[in-house]
Amino acid sequence: MTGKRKSMLWIALISILFGLILGAIVIAILGKNPLQAYYNLLQGCGLALKGKYAGGKSILTDFSSFVDFWTPMIFAALAVAVALKSGLFNIGVSGQMLTAGFIASITVGYSSLAAPAAKPLVILVGIIVGACIGALIGFLKYRFNINEVVSSIMLNYIAEYVISFFINTFFVDPVSRQSREISGASRLTLHQTVIGGYKYDLPIGFLIAIAVTLLVKFLFDKTVFGYEMKAVGLNRTAAKYAGIRVGTNMVSSMALSGGLAGLAGVTYFLGYYASIQPKILPSTGFDAIAVSLLGANNPIGILVASFLIQIIDKGSTYMSSQAGLEAEIAPVITGLILLSAACSVFYLTLGTRLKEKLAERKGGPQHE
Amino acid sequence: MDYIVEMKHITKRFPGIIANNDVTIQIKKGEIYALLGENGAGKSTLMSMLFGMYEPDEGEIWIRGKKEAISSPGYATELNIGMVHQHFKLVSNYTIAENIILGMEPKKKALGFLPCVDIEKANEQISELSRKYGLEVDPKQVISEINVSTRQRVEILKMLYREAEILIFDEPTAVLTPQEIESLLEIIRKLRDGGKTIILISHKLEEIKQVADRCAILRRGELIDIRNVADTSTREMANLMVGREVSFVSEKKPAQFGEVILRTEDLTVQNEEKFTVVNHVSFSVRAGEIFAIAGVSGNGQVEIADAITGMMKISGGHILLKGKEITEASVRERNRTGISYIPEDRQSVGLILDFTLDNNLALRRYYREPLEKKGILRSAEFHKYGEELIEKYDIRSGQGGITTVRSMSGGNQQKAIVGREIEEDSPFTIFVQPTRGLDIGAIENIHRQIIAERDRGKAILLISLELDEIMNLADTIAVIYNGSINKIAPASELTAQEVGEYMMGVKKE
Amino acid sequence: MNSINNIIIDGLSFALPLFIMAIGGIYSERSGITNLALEGLQGFGAFTGALLAYIIGLKAGANSQLPYYSAMLFAILGGIIFSLLHAVMCIRFKANQVISGVVINILAMALTVFLTKTINRNVFGAASDKINLGVSARFTVPGISSIPVLGAFFTNIYPFELIILVLAIAAWYLLYRTPFGMHLRACGDNPQAVDAAGLDVSKIRYAAVMMSGALSGLAGISFAYSISAKFSGDIYVGYGYLAIAALIFGNWTILPTLFACLLFGFARSAGYQIVQALGMPSSYSDLVMILPYVLTLLLLIFLSKHNQAPKALGEIYDKSKR
Repeated sequence: MTGKRKSMLWIALISILFGLILGAIVIAILGKNPLQAYYNLLQGCGLALKGKYAGGKSILTDFSSFVDFWTPMIFAALAVAVALKSGLFNIGVSGQMLTAGFIASITVGYSSLAAPAAKPLVILVGIIVGACIGALIGFLKYRFNINEVVSSIMLNYIAEYVISFFINTFFVDPVSRQSREISGASRLTLHQTVIGGYKYDLPIGFLIAIAVTLLVKFLFDKTVFGYEMKAVGLNRTAAKYAGIRVGTNMVSSMALSGGLAGLAGVTYFLGYYASIQPKILPSTGFDAIAVSLLGANNPIGILVASFLIQIIDKGSTYMSSQAGLEAEIAPVITGLILLSAACSVFYLTLGTRLKEKLAERKGGPQHE
Repeated sequence: MDYIVEMKHITKRFPGIIANNDVTIQIKKGEIYALLGENGAGKSTLMSMLFGMYEPDEGEIWIRGKKEAISSPGYATELNIGMVHQHFKLVSNYTIAENIILGMEPKKKALGFLPCVDIEKANEQISELSRKYGLEVDPKQVISEINVSTRQRVEILKMLYREAEILIFDEPTAVLTPQEIESLLEIIRKLRDGGKTIILISHKLEEIKQVADRCAILRRGELIDIRNVADTSTREMANLMVGREVSFVSEKKPAQFGEVILRTEDLTVQNEEKFTVVNHVSFSVRAGEIFAIAGVSGNGQVEIADAITGMMKISGGHILLKGKEITEASVRERNRTGISYIPEDRQSVGLILDFTLDNNLALRRYYREPLEKKGILRSAEFHKYGEELIEKYDIRSGQGGITTVRSMSGGNQQKAIVGREIEEDSPFTIFVQPTRGLDIGAIENIHRQIIAERDRGKAILLISLELDEIMNLADTIAVIYNGSINKIAPASELTAQEVGEYMMGVKKE
Repeated sequence: MNSINNIIIDGLSFALPLFIMAIGGIYSERSGITNLALEGLQGFGAFTGALLAYIIGLKAGANSQLPYYSAMLFAILGGIIFSLLHAVMCIRFKANQVISGVVINILAMALTVFLTKTINRNVFGAASDKINLGVSARFTVPGISSIPVLGAFFTNIYPFELIILVLAIAAWYLLYRTPFGMHLRACGDNPQAVDAAGLDVSKIRYAAVMMSGALSGLAGISFAYSISAKFSGDIYVGYGYLAIAALIFGNWTILPTLFACLLFGFARSAGYQIVQALGMPSSYSDLVMILPYVLTLLLLIFLSKHNQAPKALGEIYDKSKR
């Protein structure tokens, strides 16, 4: 592993440790056992055995459900990372997820298409819708110099309210107060499939996520487009000097980012869930920023980081019921980990300075 | 002996280098003391400690016979030490007066009790001050609207407002025309006559010769010698500065011009505020010719380069390369048609600092074979190409091709850019300020390369603020003033003095 | 006629908190620190204020206005304390300021919701995710308020609107007339110059960020009182980001930012009035809620080209770089 990658790994580990320790302190203050609480997190995700299981369920049931839950986050964090490579912050992932999920629901989810046609179509719609919104944000930035953070947040809220309106007016299920459920054929997760007497949620989206992760890695490291993205992200003027069309690049990166966010959306709303709750913006889009940071904006790192962060999120329900803690402590811990990761620059410089001091003591300074 | 400043056995270390190694200098009250040395010799570092921006690792500083620990610029100011920095520290959207009084504002009480900055009093004080020292300025002008030499006056007034007695000038003439330099040296003499002590940091031998009493020569952190300026020739000073014999004039074969390679017709460029910065400029550069544009910084020369390369949009006129119209072409099209560009700012334009050396050297070729195929990069080819250039152009770096460019020295960064651009074998190359901030060895090297390219029949456009460089290299000189070219002539027909006058707009064609 | 009055009254009560928050943002950004954390800061301020108001209200009795004013005080304090996090991250730890801002927002939301639930459960013994506030008294200036249209500006005013106006004027004076303000504005343009003048750039920036925390906290508690009479997770609807958009329009200057905020406020209240006047079902009010955000986008499209951010905004100031 190169030196830089090693430092990034250390930082990620330190950040996670720091967040967990702070969280443990808070849990302890509330009078509960932190280690027990953290073990509950693992149990809730099927990574440790529970005391007992309901009929037809096993530890693998929980695990499959966890993977189902994990999948959207992989896409969301990849979306953030792709935009970041070009120097852009896509804070609008949640809104893109919602819009993609909604459009896919009303076009394919409520249709009577059979699974072999419906599922690929859902994926396609998700990518296209997300990409369009992403491209819009990129275009607004390039053409009108609109700060993409502000524009994506505006679009987030516009999406939330408009979609909420449409759901409540046309697509509402009066019992659940959410949008009507989509057809099983269009759902990307094979929900509650029975195999050998046990129930599982099989997320097809997960396989796609792994493939896409590798594809994004390939894109970053080995393609002309990846080279240009990085150039634009690191030094826009030099990129222009090199003949790169900066505007096109920005829009393309954001479109790609949006497309990934769209995939997150359909695996979330037509995968893990089968309906959309109005007036709620999934927190996935914001937590994805944490994940991307922790994963050092590197696809493989993101895979690992998302795994860890989602354990905290998914396991929190079980932990809450077992340990008597509010489930809301999970986003607090995630937030603390993020806080720590944001100081990574500081750790890096601290680390380099320490290394230099050690080197000086060993070999003595040299003239330039 | 009455020394007003003594720096005894000063040592200062930064990670990886010793900036000052046991340097001792003693400055008398009322003298003009020069610090001479190349870039990286340690002159700025030494004076930064005098001004409280750093503290020495070893050694002592004595001011007016008393030992002092100068821990901050604030304390230095209290000791009546002032410094005019190489890169001006001015707030661009404040007025001249506001900049001068920053941190020492005259106050009044509005409505009897609210603290308020007394801007009227400040304006009055500044006007008076500027008159007293012959540094005329209008205190109400905003910094972003005034030129470089006026900005320098503001920096000087900042020192005088704080009643500085010891004035440090860090490379003050880098951005001035010959006439402005004269004017500044005159001001320095007047200040000395008024009882101030002046410390002049410079690598400009002529100016030191004109105005300094004594001169300390630094090389690579060491103090080499202290000389009386009157008794030392510029040749001697140069040799001490570099440590070997230095040749001042480049060897140049007589010119052999070919066809016109680049031509501009009525080129007009407006900046973001719709202000015309290049005004109907027409000229042509022939094969085998070094065509230099001389001018004071900010008169439109950089915009001409940006317009020709496509980095900036033009609002009128035509640009033709080898007879072909490229006025509307994209940057990449122009690159491929045959333009190489060594930009003024090597770090923010010519290089991507966080990329590796290989990736930077490939900046012009990554999108075509053999470095890529079907959109996929071929890293082996990248590395091979990088190795070639590193070898050919003697580019030094910590780890070769995989070094992050940010960690390379300025000289080697420039070598990388020059090598990369020359390797394209373009018929037309633009060099803007190619030797800025480089030491003599590197400067000689680049000048040699420029002349070599010219001898190979390339058309070269040289834009430089260093008049010496232009007089040394150019076959043809054009002078730009306020966005218009006011003189074009073969270099042999012009003297440096004349060029300076055109640069100031004094003479017009 | 009544509708127009309502538009003005409701519009003002929304625009003014937005404005004071935007002023806080201006302080921070003019000193060179990008501040996207306004959203989280206003939420945290609202939480602190609401909590203390509730506690004090339990002791002081139902009709006292003491909880109301102490809420504002504690909201300001809460905002200051939480803003220190952003300040330390950006100034001491040299974090990327955009990321730090977003982190603060996430943390604020998570922390305040968690604490609300936990404190409700453990201290008050109720399973609730909100803290109820009493309805704030509103007052009307006699005489002037009878004038058509203009009078509406003086009708049914929340006390916090007055406090905000006074603070806004004070903030304007502080920024543009005092030495402190002059130093602050210089930091956002050229921190090197400020350093060379012997001033402490870090100290000034800390003060600036704390100002933004204080003013955002005040905005948050004002929103809590006027929109929902409670604190809950619903306070995080993006008004902090709206404030940032407002200050970008206002080109980082106080007076133009006021106009932007008034525009947003009136757009929002006008939308509500239209829904009511046309008798549309309440779900349509969701559609109307997007007016401020759409307006932001449109205005940004037309105005972004000309804005000039403070030159040193977002740049990490490193003393050793010379």
